[in-house]
Amino acid sequence: MKALILVGGFGTRLRPLTLSVPKPLVDFGNKPMILHQIEALKEVGVTEVVLAINYQPEVMLNFLKDFENKLDIKITCSQETEPLGTAGPLALAREKLIDGSGDPFFVLNSDVISEYPFAQLIKFHKSHGGEATIMVTKVDEPSKYGVVVMEEGTGKVERFVEKPKIFVGNKINAGIYLLNPSILDRIQLKPTSIEKEVFPKIADERKLYAMVLPGFWMDIGQPRDYITGLRLYLDSLRKKASVKLASGPHILGNVLIHESAVIGEGCLIGPDVSIGPGCVVEAGVRLSRCTVMRGVRIKKHACISSSIIGWHSTVGQWARVENMTILGEDVHVCDEIYSNGGVVLPHKEIKSSILKPEIVM
Amino acid sequence: MGSSEERVVAVIMVGGPTKGTRFRPLSLNVPKPLFPLAGQPMVHHPISACRNIPNLVQIYLIGFYEEREFALYVSSISHELRVPVRYLREDKPHGSAGGLYSFRDHIMEESPSHIVLLNCDVCCSFPLEAMLGAHKSYGGIGTMLVIKVSAESASQFGELVADLETKELLHYTEKPETFVSNLINCGVYIFTPEIFSAIEDVFKQRKERANLRRVSSFEALLSATKALPADFVRLDQDILSPLAGKKQLYTFETLDFWEQIKTPGMSLRCSGLYLSQYRHTSPQLLASGDGTKKATITGDVYIHPSAKVHPSAKIGPNVSISANARIGAGVRLISCIILDDVEIMENAVVIHSIVGWKSTIGKWSRVQGEGDYNAKLGITILGEAVDVEDEVVVINSVVLPNKTLTVSVQEEIIL
Repeated sequence: MKALILVGGFGTRLRPLTLSVPKPLVDFGNKPMILHQIEALKEVGVTEVVLAINYQPEVMLNFLKDFENKLDIKITCSQETEPLGTAGPLALAREKLIDGSGDPFFVLNSDVISEYPFAQLIKFHKSHGGEATIMVTKVDEPSKYGVVVMEEGTGKVERFVEKPKIFVGNKINAGIYLLNPSILDRIQLKPTSIEKEVFPKIADERKLYAMVLPGFWMDIGQPRDYITGLRLYLDSLRKKASVKLASGPHILGNVLIHESAVIGEGCLIGPDVSIGPGCVVEAGVRLSRCTVMRGVRIKKHACISSSIIGWHSTVGQWARVENMTILGEDVHVCDEIYSNGGVVLPHKEIKSSILKPEIVM
Repeated sequence: MGSSEERVVAVIMVGGPTKGTRFRPLSLNVPKPLFPLAGQPMVHHPISACRNIPNLVQIYLIGFYEEREFALYVSSISHELRVPVRYLREDKPHGSAGGLYSFRDHIMEESPSHIVLLNCDVCCSFPLEAMLGAHKSYGGIGTMLVIKVSAESASQFGELVADLETKELLHYTEKPETFVSNLINCGVYIFTPEIFSAIEDVFKQRKERANLRRVSSFEALLSATKALPADFVRLDQDILSPLAGKKQLYTFETLDFWEQIKTPGMSLRCSGLYLSQYRHTSPQLLASGDGTKKATITGDVYIHPSAKVHPSAKIGPNVSISANARIGAGVRLISCIILDDVEIMENAVVIHSIVGWKSTIGKWSRVQGEGDYNAKLGITILGEAVDVEDEVVVINSVVLPNKTLTVSVQEEIIL
């Protein structure tokens, strides 16, 4: 089976992290965002993943060679020369997605994290015999999104309503689809929206079905949602009783610590923390609701909450970092500094406190 | 020494990537030395000034950017000047004197009698020919360009005291806390090859001191965090300051303009200074027009030959328009740098701003800065490929590359 992951463009909402690497390679839960999806696809028997991108293929391809070998799955890029929207890339990658077997192929939005219940999705798709299945997820505030109105028992999609003013349903498009190859005959190689142009037509023909996504779902394309997403992801690991989660007297709640990270004495870590490879957390450090990326050093007595610390950065002794502080790659927060929501671009030294949220270039 | 034995080598320090975060967001797309001022890369202005030096045999650019960033520029400028220009890459920053010293073999290759040292981020008239003449008459090992500034701003620079008659450098301090003098170091120097011995002496002294003292563990801790590595030698503090008052160093005062180009705001100001200098040195580079066949031009304006400007537009003063830019009907541009491939649609207004490569400015939109070149958000900067939609107003803001502005913004940094 094949899969297409819509990676898209510059990932500007995840800056400053995406100033250092393309968005799919930004680490989430100690592995590149896109690896979560590729591993789940491999597990259901996908043999080739096509990444629809519109910039930096060289950086991506280098990483992907690595994954290709480790996972034994073929990974290629399909590069847009102009933005093709959410459906156009399928037309662009047509040759790669059709292999004559007639098997349906997956299409995923790269920013989405969930449990990826692909086996269930395949089963449901085969059972209803329609042309396309989309996964939907329940949200509290559906009018922020596009709502999918579907038949209760069968899951047959009746219609899509973009940002409805009155309540029509609480399920929204989760950005995970399983599509028959015949769908490619409906899509031309030009900027096209799959939600606004392609799916509504298929729904009219009563050939579009929706499946409610079990488990968690999050679009982690921006820092606030990334941090919430981490909580949901770690929570799902806990539910599966994963051995990956850390335990011990210094651990509170769900915490992921890479085996090569070093944690000092007297720390209190958690809840909802992930600590990446090669990190050094010195004695007396408090971490909560944060992501600490590869190679970071957190010095003694520091306190970090609700923040993202970028690769190879350092946080000084007694520093306090909180309230959506995002440190880019190689940022050094000096001893005793306070950062309240500072967003710091790569290769900077923070020598004076940031008292209210601001961007430091 | 007769002039037939005189050979001059020029060295321009260009810095490197991790140093220049103050030049963001423009430095996200181009190394600062190659950012255009008055239509030419920043480093082109000191290089161009070196043309006036008689017996110039070689120009070296020293920095720690990747070689490939400078390859194209260096080969085309060598061809144009008919003087070899080479980029030498430091593996890491060594300080201005350290950098000069580590490449002394290259610099001394042609056995120069004089070495001109320039900093790329200095904007001035570079009166090198006159300075060289003065240096020869002083007979010291070095002459530095100096300028008088206001007492308040002097403390940002290296302050120095010079003998009023002999022009000898008597005293030098870098960024003093209390007032020393309002005469400051411009970052332009002429040396004789003896400067290398002076730098070598400093290295030797450091080695001896390190060997003699048994460093206590406390001192070792201090030195690890505070002091610079042993091979990081700063020209001003470590070499020139100790030589002051010993009849080795002299000063040459300039009465022309002088600025340091540390931020994008200053690059806009310096672009204007160089444009006004063109009036004297290369008036053919400045545009002209009165609205009939060509656009109305007021003040000093540079327009690249491949740019297209609608005759109903009004451009200037202090505007620089780069290659392939398209300026539509009824557009008004004041004090701005418009980079390559920018499209400005009808009736838009751009004031005190820098518009990045390939950006588009919509109809009737207004992109404006206050014009305070030193403030953090004193001018508006649009990075590469920023699209400002029709009728949108952008004031005192900085927009990083690849963004689309659909609503007006003020005093914001948009990542």
